[in-house]
Amino acid sequence: MSNNRTRRYLTGSLLPILIALGWQAATGMALFTPAILPSMDRVFKSFVEMAASGQLAEDVLVSLSRVVKGYVVAVALGVVMGTFMGMSDFLHNFFSLTLNAIRQIPILAWIPLIILWFGIGEESKIAVIVLGAYFPVLVNTISGIRQTPQGYVEVARLYRLSRWTVFRKVYLPSALPQIFVGMKLGLGISWVAVVASELIAASAGIGFRISDARSLMQADVVIVGMIVIGVLGLLMDKALSLVFHKATPWTR
Amino acid sequence: MLKIKGLDKRFLVNGREVVALQNIDLDVKKGEFITIVGHSGCGKSTLLKIIAGLQSQDVGTITCHDRQILGPGTDRGMVFQEHRLLPWLTIRENVGFGLQGIDRKEKERLVEDHLRLVQLEGFGDAYPKQLSGGMAQRAAIARGLVNNPEVLLLDEPFGALDALTRIQMQKEVLRIWEEEKTTMILVTHDIDEAIYLGQRIVVMSARPGEIKAVIPVESSNAKDRGSTEFASIKKRVLRHFFAEEEWAAVEYAI
Ligand SMILES: Nc1ncnc2c1ncn2[C@@H]1O[C@H](COP(=O)(O)OP(=O)(O)O)[C@@H](O)[C@H]1O
Ligand SMILES: [Mg+2]
Repeated sequence: MSNNRTRRYLTGSLLPILIALGWQAATGMALFTPAILPSMDRVFKSFVEMAASGQLAEDVLVSLSRVVKGYVVAVALGVVMGTFMGMSDFLHNFFSLTLNAIRQIPILAWIPLIILWFGIGEESKIAVIVLGAYFPVLVNTISGIRQTPQGYVEVARLYRLSRWTVFRKVYLPSALPQIFVGMKLGLGISWVAVVASELIAASAGIGFRISDARSLMQADVVIVGMIVIGVLGLLMDKALSLVFHKATPWTR
Repeated sequence: MLKIKGLDKRFLVNGREVVALQNIDLDVKKGEFITIVGHSGCGKSTLLKIIAGLQSQDVGTITCHDRQILGPGTDRGMVFQEHRLLPWLTIRENVGFGLQGIDRKEKERLVEDHLRLVQLEGFGDAYPKQLSGGMAQRAAIARGLVNNPEVLLLDEPFGALDALTRIQMQKEVLRIWEEEKTTMILVTHDIDEAIYLGQRIVVMSARPGEIKAVIPVESSNAKDRGSTEFASIKKRVLRHFFAEEEWAAVEYAI
């Protein structure tokens, strides 16, 4: 088993190594100007400088806190509303057309309106994340709840369990794996959304740092920001997987 | 104890009316073991679901101890063809699933008693998918019995099991019935199973779903699959499924 896992990680790390080698070779042969593709050394130096000055930690904390706040609200809203829409045909029919239409609108298109409504403070940034992460959680919760096998619901009916108990013991655990899929997708979108939201009059945050560096032509800082988001997102995704694995022992 | 009178049930399927059950009359005595045989689609599951209170009839009445059945109740337990154990609950939690509003100690005791009854002690902490088909079905029977129902309804409970496990489970159910003295109504399309288990065999026909005959299994000799009594009852049951002109060939074959 553990041997298998080691092999999986080794295989998975081949591509990043290849990319790094390619990057090194391309900059070594001076195929691109540093303004377009800085060398790995340069990027690493920027990383060390940003880390040493405390700027990186501040940016990470600011963005992370926005992601967490927005994500938690989105998950709560998505799971609660998805459960109601999944269990009630009326609510499903009532909301789904409208929500499906709203879902088609890209987050970026929302930003002007969100600024008008929430201003340029923290609220608008969190609103953007909520809006982005809400739909994958909602859609997957609805589908998970609706896919609950009717045979199990029938068993619950035999014992005249209350609606709340049926939800807790039948619908929720049955939908859980699908809800988790939605939560993972939502987390990924939260990072997209936080970068987009930090284009709104921010003074810190990784998204802000990236766009700021772009206007100063600091490609190395841009790349540091991108890699940090990639690594953070991956870590959080793995953490969620771990939690989900623990929460659904019967799927093992 | 259980009285079914003049039961009708129709379904609309693609705009056409299907008579699932027509004029079903049946009296089940307390402690009796009734088996129901019939082709698939003759309304056997519908009948059990109506008795369970999961569906309602169009016409007719069912009473249990003179009380009308209007919905599900813990006086009736049910076991389905698929075990329908909840995958996220352990066997212990599954067996106790229907035990609501009783003291925890009492609940634990009842669950353990019923795990023992179906010979699954030691598997309480397993998840359903860790059990074989026969064991899962035994857990489902324990869940059906844990509320101490007046009657246990079994809808082709062994239909998905292999032949050897099925025979073992039939013995097991007979033992449980003798131990618990619960009234049982078991649906099957296996005539041997119906004869082996039933004290009376209800033969149903399809379209419309009607009761064609109720055949008593009186002699205990009939429980022996090799006995002449068994063969003669089997003939009586089979007789109802074949037209006059087919019968000669069928009779020769058995
Ligand atoms: N929920 C339903 N909706 C429509 N038709 C049904 C429904 N349940 C059963 N039927 C029809 O009623 C008839 C009897 O079904 P069923 O009771 O499942 O038969 P059996 O269990 O004997 O195979 C079949 O023709 C079936 O198609
Ligand atoms: Mg059936």
